[in-house]
Amino acid sequence: MKLLEVLETTRREPHCGLCKIDFLGTNVCSAGKKHGFVAYWPEGRMELARAFAEKEVEPTEALRDIVNSCNMCGICDRQCYFVTQRRPTQAQQALQEYLNTLPPQALKPTPEDDIVKGLRAIVGDEYATNDPVIIASYQRSIIKQKSKGKYYIVMPKTTQEIVAIVNLANTHKIPYLPRGNGTFFGVALQTLLAEPATIEQGIIIDMWRMKDLEVDPESITATIGPGVTSFELQKAAHVHKLRANVAEAESCVIANAQNLGIVTTWSNTYGWGTDNFIDAEYIDSTGTIQHLSDKDIPNPYAAEQGLLSLSLIPSVIVTKLTLKLHQILPDEEAIFIPFNNLPDALDFAHELARRNIGVSLAVLSRKYLTEFISPTHEIAEDFNYIAEKYLNLNYIVDVICDSHSKKIVEDLAPVSFGKEMIKSLILGSSKLSSMKDSSLLKMIGEEEDPLKTVFAGPMRKHFEKGLASSPKELVKDMDKDLQDFFEKLYSKPEMTDPIWLHNYRILPCRMERKHMWMYRGGYMPGDKKTILKVVDALEQPAKQYGIEGAFGFLSYLERGKLCHLEYDYYYDHTDPDARHRVNKAIVESWRQQFAIKGVTPLEFICSKGLHRKEHIIYPLLPGLSKEELEHFEELIETLFGGEDTW
Amino acid sequence: MVKFLSQEWAEQAKKKVLTELDKAKDLKNMNATLLNVIQNIPPDNKTIYYYIKFTEGNLDELITGTDESLKQKQADFIVTGDYTTFIQINNGQMSSAMALLKNRVKMTGNKMKALTITKPIDTYNNCVKGVPTEY
Ligand SMILES: Cc1cc2nc3c(=O)[nH]c(=O)nc-3n(C[C@H](O)[C@H](O)[C@H](O)COP(=O)(O)OP(=O)(O)OC[C@H]3O[C@@H](n4cnc5c(N)ncnc54)[C@H](O)[C@@H]3O)c2cc1C
Repeated sequence: MKLLEVLETTRREPHCGLCKIDFLGTNVCSAGKKHGFVAYWPEGRMELARAFAEKEVEPTEALRDIVNSCNMCGICDRQCYFVTQRRPTQAQQALQEYLNTLPPQALKPTPEDDIVKGLRAIVGDEYATNDPVIIASYQRSIIKQKSKGKYYIVMPKTTQEIVAIVNLANTHKIPYLPRGNGTFFGVALQTLLAEPATIEQGIIIDMWRMKDLEVDPESITATIGPGVTSFELQKAAHVHKLRANVAEAESCVIANAQNLGIVTTWSNTYGWGTDNFIDAEYIDSTGTIQHLSDKDIPNPYAAEQGLLSLSLIPSVIVTKLTLKLHQILPDEEAIFIPFNNLPDALDFAHELARRNIGVSLAVLSRKYLTEFISPTHEIAEDFNYIAEKYLNLNYIVDVICDSHSKKIVEDLAPVSFGKEMIKSLILGSSKLSSMKDSSLLKMIGEEEDPLKTVFAGPMRKHFEKGLASSPKELVKDMDKDLQDFFEKLYSKPEMTDPIWLHNYRILPCRMERKHMWMYRGGYMPGDKKTILKVVDALEQPAKQYGIEGAFGFLSYLERGKLCHLEYDYYYDHTDPDARHRVNKAIVESWRQQFAIKGVTPLEFICSKGLHRKEHIIYPLLPGLSKEELEHFEELIETLFGGEDTW
Repeated sequence: MVKFLSQEWAEQAKKKVLTELDKAKDLKNMNATLLNVIQNIPPDNKTIYYYIKFTEGNLDELITGTDESLKQKQADFIVTGDYTTFIQINNGQMSSAMALLKNRVKMTGNKMKALTITKPIDTYNNCVKGVPTEY
């Protein structure tokens, strides 16, 4: 296998970072676990295979070490195929073959400089480096591709070590930036946000080793370090029959809390931002350790609003967070209410939010439903087509609630279904895809109300039977050598249990299977009129610039008074023209969103997760005037240059 | 070559702005006062104050110095940051707006007003960048 043969795959590496957590019960890459640096994890091998193929980095001795550290156990193929249908062992093979072509003298050691010596004195020799190969593995997940800057990577273990790192950076007058699992960077770095989201040189502080995690069932809290992922925290909470309000599995909880305030379908009850935690320990830019609970610090919760409040770089490094956990009700159930249009779905969900029904409550799009639950992107595309064309299934109100609330939801809902149907759809998605344009689906499509016909009417049985759902059927189109594994995997109850899937969020990165996407949306009042205006403000630019745009999900806060909306732009990040267009669409969507009263675009929430939403969202922004929008254009030009340079 | 933030640099920068920039077209007739507090200047980590005052787009004052009295100047905006960041701004590697976004500088003052002067200040910085400077 040659580097160029896998380039198509490696260029599309999304840096989802799921390979760092044991989300399928396979264990994780032993080389990654031993060394820690991204280069030793499957995601890093993919990036390195790309960087070498594109001649962005020269080999060093570290390359031999990285290649030799892999025992080709294949865990990464299982994990990665599950999420993004990629096979990191191919990248490893290509790196191995490339290494074999190099004469031994080509692999030079990397000389130490004062800064790396200083970092090694703080964290130990093996956890700080200035090696260009290891640094290259961080490209596109915190370092901009082809950046010419001088970088260092350091992996501290303690708060005190981070203090020493900040002091060292200040002494040498170089910037530093913390990295959790790099997934936010993976998305942002493909767009014009790359520049403001990262540093042009300096010290990357990789938090992977800081995995302290303690659950206190008495106070129903957990105290965690910055390397703890959402999956790991959820698992630890679950031992005590508790739940953490966390986002996608691989994100580091602290990074997520600091960055976006943790947006989930559970926000309906558990809240957002400061609602989520009790205290935080952080290090400021002078290297001083502080706590949010310190009485003599300036108000840490006040936040800037508006256009000049954009800040994609954290102002502090959070080293510890004490979060609220939540009790799990013994009779929780999932219930799904399908709709063919957004206004109806919003009306229904808003009514539930107002009545405080649903521990978890969200409006999901067809795109999310089909992409998340389908085992391959091809199946997802067929499922998406069928849902739109024949089932009229475009939105779904997705509720997890107790048995009493479930009865109310069922009474209110025109049509609904539960976990059995979801299980059938997951395990039957492959069969469903093969039924594309079948007579059964055509028949359903001709009914007056296909949703009712499929999910409530007499056809329901035929439909479910037609899906012939089983793990064996599901895995038929997967790579042959992985079928046994996946058949066993999909036989596990949790893989088709909607509550487990909401808790552990192992599916969202399936959005990155084909190519990249960019989050859009933001926070706004929860009324339907505003929401529809915002959807339009996001949809129009996508259409204008030929980007695939799709509603993602919406969750309410504070009994429907406020909401968070995610809308996504999907584009091929390996195509410069598509990147150019997506950037234009991003700017245009900001412009349109800021003109709507009360709307704060998502990027303008970044780095404000530790602040109170009350300070960020209120007073509701009036919507920019024409004159202010002109200044907005100037700001954009000052920041990013003219349109043609994006 | 003049030393960044020295008296000579200030004089040359002011002359360049007054001769090269149009008050209306380039500087948008702005009325603003801005105090840059530039910290950690080697070798002994001193602080230099860099004050500018525009009236109707005219650069009335451009003063630099270590004199604490400069700190007392009434300014609409106070921008504080490290010498290394101001070098990047002055040599065009980073706009002052980007430095703000990247938390490299802190700014106090009315953010809405700041928005109105972002562009003219950027034009000003681009002009000053043309003074042959050593750091
Ligand atoms: C597929 C997908 C789905 C997503 N869905 C959701 C969602 O539903 N809800 C949601 O809230 N988010 C969601 N996100 C966004 C994501 O969870 C957050 O942006 C989160 O920050 C990513 O965690 P990370 O560990 O990868 O952070 P990184 O990408 O490593 O870092 C994100 C930011 O946090 C900073 N940071 C990292 N560690 C620290 C620290 N210790 N102290 C201070 N700053 C730090 C970084 O410098 C960076 O600015 C999604 C992302 C993806 C890729």
